[in-house]
Parts: sequence; structure tokens; C-alpha cells
Amino acid sequence: MYQRLLTRRYLTSKVMPLLAALAVVLCTAMVLISWSVMGGFLKNLMESGRTLIGDVSINWPNAGFAHYEDLIQRLEAHPEIDAASPMIETAGMLALPGDRLVRVIVRGIDGPSYAAVTTYEDTLYWQPLEEPLPKDDARRDWRLENHTRWQRTFNNGLTLTEPDPATGEPRPAVVIGIETSGYNFRQPAGFIIPGIPLVPGADGVMGQLPIFLPDEKVTLHVLPIDSSGRGIEMVTRILPVANEFRSGLYEIDKQTVLVNLRALQSMLNMDEARRVIEDPTEDLSAADPFALGGDEADPNFEPIQRVEIDPARVTDIVVLGRQDDARLTQQYVLDVYTEFAAAHPDVPRADAIFIKTWEDQNATMIAAVKKETALVLFIFSFISLTAVFLVLAIFWAMVSEKTRDVGILRAIGASRTGIAWLWLRYGLAIGVVGSIFGLALAYTIVYNINTIHDWMGVALGISIWDPAVYYFTEIPSRVNHLHAAIIGLGGMLASTLGALWPALRAARMNPVRALRFE
Amino acid sequence: MTTTPPILSARDVHKTYRLGKVRVPVLRGAHLDVHKGEAVAILGASGSGKSTLLHILGALDTPDRTPSSQDIRFEGTSLSSLSERQRNTYRANRVGFVFQFYHLLPELSVLDNVRVGAMVALGLNYRAKRPEVTNHAAALLDQFGLGHRLTHRPAELSGGERQRVAIARALINKPDLLLADEPTGNLDRETGNSILDALEDLRARTAQTLVMVTHDPAVAARADRVVSLADGQVVEAGPAPAPAPPAETAHEPPPGRQRKTRRPPPQRDDARSTR
Repeated sequence: MYQRLLTRRYLTSKVMPLLAALAVVLCTAMVLISWSVMGGFLKNLMESGRTLIGDVSINWPNAGFAHYEDLIQRLEAHPEIDAASPMIETAGMLALPGDRLVRVIVRGIDGPSYAAVTTYEDTLYWQPLEEPLPKDDARRDWRLENHTRWQRTFNNGLTLTEPDPATGEPRPAVVIGIETSGYNFRQPAGFIIPGIPLVPGADGVMGQLPIFLPDEKVTLHVLPIDSSGRGIEMVTRILPVANEFRSGLYEIDKQTVLVNLRALQSMLNMDEARRVIEDPTEDLSAADPFALGGDEADPNFEPIQRVEIDPARVTDIVVLGRQDDARLTQQYVLDVYTEFAAAHPDVPRADAIFIKTWEDQNATMIAAVKKETALVLFIFSFISLTAVFLVLAIFWAMVSEKTRDVGILRAIGASRTGIAWLWLRYGLAIGVVGSIFGLALAYTIVYNINTIHDWMGVALGISIWDPAVYYFTEIPSRVNHLHAAIIGLGGMLASTLGALWPALRAARMNPVRALRFE
Repeated sequence: MTTTPPILSARDVHKTYRLGKVRVPVLRGAHLDVHKGEAVAILGASGSGKSTLLHILGALDTPDRTPSSQDIRFEGTSLSSLSERQRNTYRANRVGFVFQFYHLLPELSVLDNVRVGAMVALGLNYRAKRPEVTNHAAALLDQFGLGHRLTHRPAELSGGERQRVAIARALINKPDLLLADEPTGNLDRETGNSILDALEDLRARTAQTLVMVTHDPAVAARADRVVSLADGQVVEAGPAPAPAPPAETAHEPPPGRQRKTRRPPPQRDDARSTR
């Protein structure tokens, strides 16, 4: 009981314990802030990574697989699967206005069904914007004005078509990643202004070219591949740009072009094809050899013909599950595909096809960011170990200062264990106080980190998180309560640990010498 | 001399301190018997080992184990046979220490300084007995003229008041034996006398057994019996001598936060017994 009384009195009557508590406050706050920002960054990145690929994808690269419409029907009939959409992925080259040629990943998508599986709609950049972005105080974002135009651009992007100026009929179009062209410039407020870059002209002189891609056309080159994986002949097509997209993942936005599925199927020879087979030898073994076939020298000769239909193919089906657990969805997809493959002998077998979750597909990136987060956390936690030594040093000095108190308590019957507990409890109390205030400080800072950052920019000219550099407009400002609890407990433990050695020292003191201490 | 067995007996107590490589013998076979209700003064010069003897009697320190040494027994129980925990209990419940420099806990109020002794002794049971302990502590402090100082800190008290608080703390667990180490050594004569009067008053009321260490024959004279300690041995034992005339050597601690007690010193009991 005396420990409780003395802990309270010592806490409120000395400067040194306040310094120790301050050390715990700062270390706790530092670790939680860094974990929250890095964790938020990771979460944003993972959410962005999921944006354009759904929960699970079925993939058979190069030649693709047929009967995909039947597969989609089967998938959507499953109670745990929400939607599925066909997709083709291939490599290509994109010639941009201004004679810029970029290597791209070409994805053929069916806009409406793709939007049902992914958040494609939200990624279309050029669409009406009601409220300015948080940092766009001057309302300089183009999308805030002229909503009719942006609505039209948005619809074009959604369907990956654009009306033909002559006939008004929809014609296939592309939607380009916002970073792909290099003609868009992110502003400090987070929005994008189409650029007027300096480009070399035919005469070699650098010139300026006003370019806004949704008003332009691009030339897409792709290489069809036959079923054996060999390239056939480069196919080139000029396509209008319907819109641009921004997924939030730089690597995706930098090198991806979305193309109308039908157009890409056509370019890659993956659309439905009728095949006429001529086989003069066919049915020659029939009963009446004279009734069929004929003399090739006869001008009226007609070889036996047979028409076969090659069904359209795609390389991917992206699937959205009804449950959050992508692994479960993956299992359901596998079950459906197994039945599908059994019904269609000409598609890849179920044990050969690639069925991956969105996490599998982004595994490298997620692992890298997770490692980075863990590294930052480790470094800050290691730095926070200084709190242990700071508490130790302060407690060492305090135990020295309170040597006589120890002697007095021993003289009135306090045990060594009781004395040790007095100091451990004191350390724990400092840890509790420090952790509570540290967590409160961290919560306050994280929840207001963007306001603080903006203030630093205005008042001190310091801009650490520049949206023109980082891909997210704002600094992540979410605190994981479990992480906060872990850090709080860690702060308490660290403080108690720091008090351990001084506590043992106090407990081992000779009471007579302690009483004579001056 | 009383014929009842002593409450405390020390036989052939040795204690040697080590100062670097030098061994300094402090006690060299000290003997002492203290009977219940008796006030014994241990008189000795500075460095004669009287405080060491007091600490050993209170189980705050341990005597050397020598082939000839016997033991210190409290109510027949050997202190050396006690475990660490039992020694703590002995210090908490059976003896009360009063020190020359008061040794109060500066962060605690007067009341808490007294109650802390009960907190140590009762442990978790203190919570249940807190009202009872508080009343007892307040009553003790009131007896020593400090009823109006309960919430004050030690720094706000005079030397005499601090020593009274220290005595109240020593008495909170109703110990069998009060061990006072130069209780007036840090006080002027007048304040010292008031402390001695307070102890005498206490003894008159409760027959408290007291062992007091002092270098001052006048202080020793207030005890029932005086033993002298010289060269680490009890060289003389007998009834208390007549009080010496007041000396001019004692001094009051620096003025400022020191205040003299407002309570008149308790009346001395001139009929105290000598044995």
C-alpha cells in the first residue's frame, strides 16, 4: 500500500519523473505516428492494387481460352460470386501525339462488366467533380467546371467507345493510364493539369504542343500470337482516346492502356472466326464414289467444304466475390472452372490454368512495402529503446537521491521485494502516464497530420509529403487501434524495464548505509 | 533489578566494519539486557558503536558470527534464527525506530508519515483498517501536540515537531520496544528536553520499553538505567546518574522553516522508578 502512496507522491513532486514520462511520451508517439503513416501508405497501396483486378483472376496467357461467355455465366450463377468480366492482356506499343512512342501493357476490357467487377468507374480521371480536392483551395481543378463535357468523357471512358463524328455511331476507343503519356502533371494540390511539353519537331527544334489526350487519337501496335505462341504479324490501329484512368498505382498508371475488348480481340485474331475447311479426301470412302467429289480438272468441280467456328477468346476473366476473403473466392472460382473445363475439352485443364487472388498478383509490391514498413517500424522501435535507457538513467539518479527513503522504509519493516516493487511500480506508472499521453499525442497528430503538414508548408516552407512526388494526395491519417494498444503496452513495458535495474539496486541497499546516506 | 526475564538480551555481540583493507572493530562482545517497561540509555562517545548496537538490536543490522558470540534474543526468540521476512515483520511490529535526523519521508504529509508505518506492517490489509489506523495516527499526533499539523509536510515543521512525528511513526504499530538513536542530538536543549518529556509522558501512560542511545549524560540521566559503551564493550551498567547541568553545546537547526512547538512540554514525572 505504501508503494501506491509513494508512487503518487513521487510522480507529482519531482521534475525528473516528468522527464522520464516525457521520454516515453515522445517515443510512443513517434512509433505510432510512423506506423500509422506507413501502415496507411501500405493500405492505400493495397487498395489501389486491387482497383483494376477484382478479387480473383483466371488467366491463360498468349493464346487465351474460348467459351469464356459460358464460363462467366457459370461464375455469375455461383451464389458466392458477384460478377465476372472478360479481359485480354498483351504487350504493345503506343504512339502518342507528339511522336512519343511508349511500351505498354494493353488490356482489352468490356467496360460495363469490368466496372461491375472492379472500381473502374472511380478510376476514370476525367469526370465531373463536385467538390475540389482538399488542398485545392483555389479551385483550379479542370473537372470542377464544364460538367456536361466531363460527363460525356466519362461515359466514353466507361464504354471505351467514342461517337464517330461523321455517323454518330460508337467506335472503339482506348483509355490510357494517367502517367503513361507523360503529358499530365500532378500539381501540389493533387489534381492534374494536362501538359504542354517541349517535344522535338521534325526539324529537330524543340517545340511546344498543347495536348489533352481525350481530344486526341493514338496509334496502337500489338502483336497477335498464334496458339503455338509465335507472333504472326504486327497489327496497327488508330484509336481515339476516350478518357484517362488513375488507379493509384504508379506502375499500372505508367504503362497500361485499356482498349475496347472487341477491338483488341479483332486486332489479336482472338475474335470469333468462321473457318472453311476444304478436304477433297473427305468422304471418298463413302458407298458411291461417283456421287461425291469429282474430277478436279472439271470446271464445275466443287471440293467438299466444311465450315467451322473458332469461338472468341480472352486471356483473363476477372472475378468479384461476395466475401472479403479472396482465398475463399479463389476456391469457388476453381470449383466452377473445373466444371467448365469438363464441359469444354478445348480449354486449358483446371490444374493448368492460373487462378490467382489480387494479393498473389501484387505479391511482390505488397511484400516490398510490408518489408519497408517493418523496417521503418524496427528502426523507430530501436530508437525508442533509448526510452528504456533514459528511464534507467533517470531512475538510477532518483534511487540515489532517495537512498535515505529506502533506508527509512527498511527500518520500519519494508521488505526488499516491497522496495523493488515500489520502484518498478513507479516505472510502470511513468510508463502508463507516458504511454497514455504519447498515444493521445500520436492520435492528435495523425488525425490532423494533413492540417499540420499544410501549416508547416505555409508557415515554415516545409513540404515533406508532396503530392507531385508521392502518389497519394494526402498523408494517410488512420490509426490502427490494435497497433496503438501494442505500442502503449510496449511503452509501459519499456518504462518498467528501465526501472528494473534501479529497483533491484534499491532493494539490495544496506539499510544502515542507506540511512546514513547524505 | 527486576527478576522477570528480559524482553531483549544481547550476549557477546561483535561487529567489525571494513574500511578498504582495514578492519575496524566496533563492538567487541557487548552484553545488554532490557526488561519490559524499562528505559535504558546507552551512553557512549561518538564512534563507540552505540548506534551500531541499536541497529543490531532492531534487526536492521546483523552482528558478526564469531565462535564465542552468542545471540540476541527478543522475548526468548533468537534474532539470528529469523528469516529475512520475519526480520522485516520484527522491525515493522515489534520495534519502533526514532533517529537523530528524524528520517521522515519528505513527500508525505505528517499524517501519512505516521500511517506509512502501518501500511508497511499491514500490507494489503491496510485498506480494511485504514479508518482505524488513521484515527490512531491522528490521536498519536494529537498527543504529541501536532493535531493541527496533519496535512503539513516535514519541511514545514520545526526540528522538535519532526522528531515528534518520528516518534508517532515509531509508535503507530504499538511496538514492544522503542529504539531511539540520539533522539535529541539534533535539537537544542529546550526542544530536546521537550522530546524527552514527551517520551517520559508516553512511558508513564503506556509503560513503553525504551532503549535510547546518547552521548549526552544529561539525556541518559532521564532513563531508568544507563549502560556505557566504550571500546566496543558495555563497561559500566547501573542506575541513571543525577542529571547534569544544562550544556550550551546543543543548537537549534537553522531558522526559517523551523518552528518551535506551541505545546508546553509535558510535566515530568519526578517519581519515575529507578531499578
